[in-house]
Amino acid sequence: MKNSLRVLRAERGWSQADLAEKLGVSRQSVNAIETERFDPSLPLAFKLAKLFELPIESIFEE
Amino acid sequence: MSFCNKNLTPLQRRTMQLMGGVMLLTVVTNLSTPSLVNPLVDVFPWLSPQGGHPSALLVGTLSAFSVLPVLLAVWVAGRYLKAEPDEFVRTLVVRALLWGFAVTMAGNAVAGVFMNVYLRPFPLTVLNADVFFISTGISFRLIQWSYR
Repeated sequence: MKNSLRVLRAERGWSQADLAEKLGVSRQSVNAIETERFDPSLPLAFKLAKLFELPIESIFEE
Repeated sequence: MSFCNKNLTPLQRRTMQLMGGVMLLTVVTNLSTPSLVNPLVDVFPWLSPQGGHPSALLVGTLSAFSVLPVLLAVWVAGRYLKAEPDEFVRTLVVRALLWGFAVTMAGNAVAGVFMNVYLRPFPLTVLNADVFFISTGISFRLIQWSYR
């Protein structure tokens, strides 16, 4: 699944570690999601949407 | 999280300690139970009603001790997976457990052929649980490395 996590994170000037800390996951998880090698669960996707104040569909797309 | 010792969360550290304990218990139970048969029969002769052969009850009870580390390992792994908040790490652990299982089963299959051909036991088969733990650990590191 494609996502714009890297762009959104860069816009806010956050490092992967910063985002990982905000989400309560490991930096490796953020990296795996950003590189589209791991699709997050619905609860984590909602967490991301809430954090970036965007709807889920504008972060993730098929 | 690089899973170096200094980066482990308290839950991961505790799980590693428990798994270490289980590995040690595997060695203790699987290597000591066969040598307990004769001393027990010497002390309690009624455990050997068939003249020299230990009773099924004794062998069954002793062999049940070998199951303890396996049950404990399942409990430790389940406890960890239930408590781990990071779903990505959980995925890695489950994949590593499956690889560990596959390696152990494959090793057993190979050892089974050797045992049938040479008609003697293959020593590593008594440490199946340890083979499983070690191969799971190595698998975890390899899977984790593949995501770098």
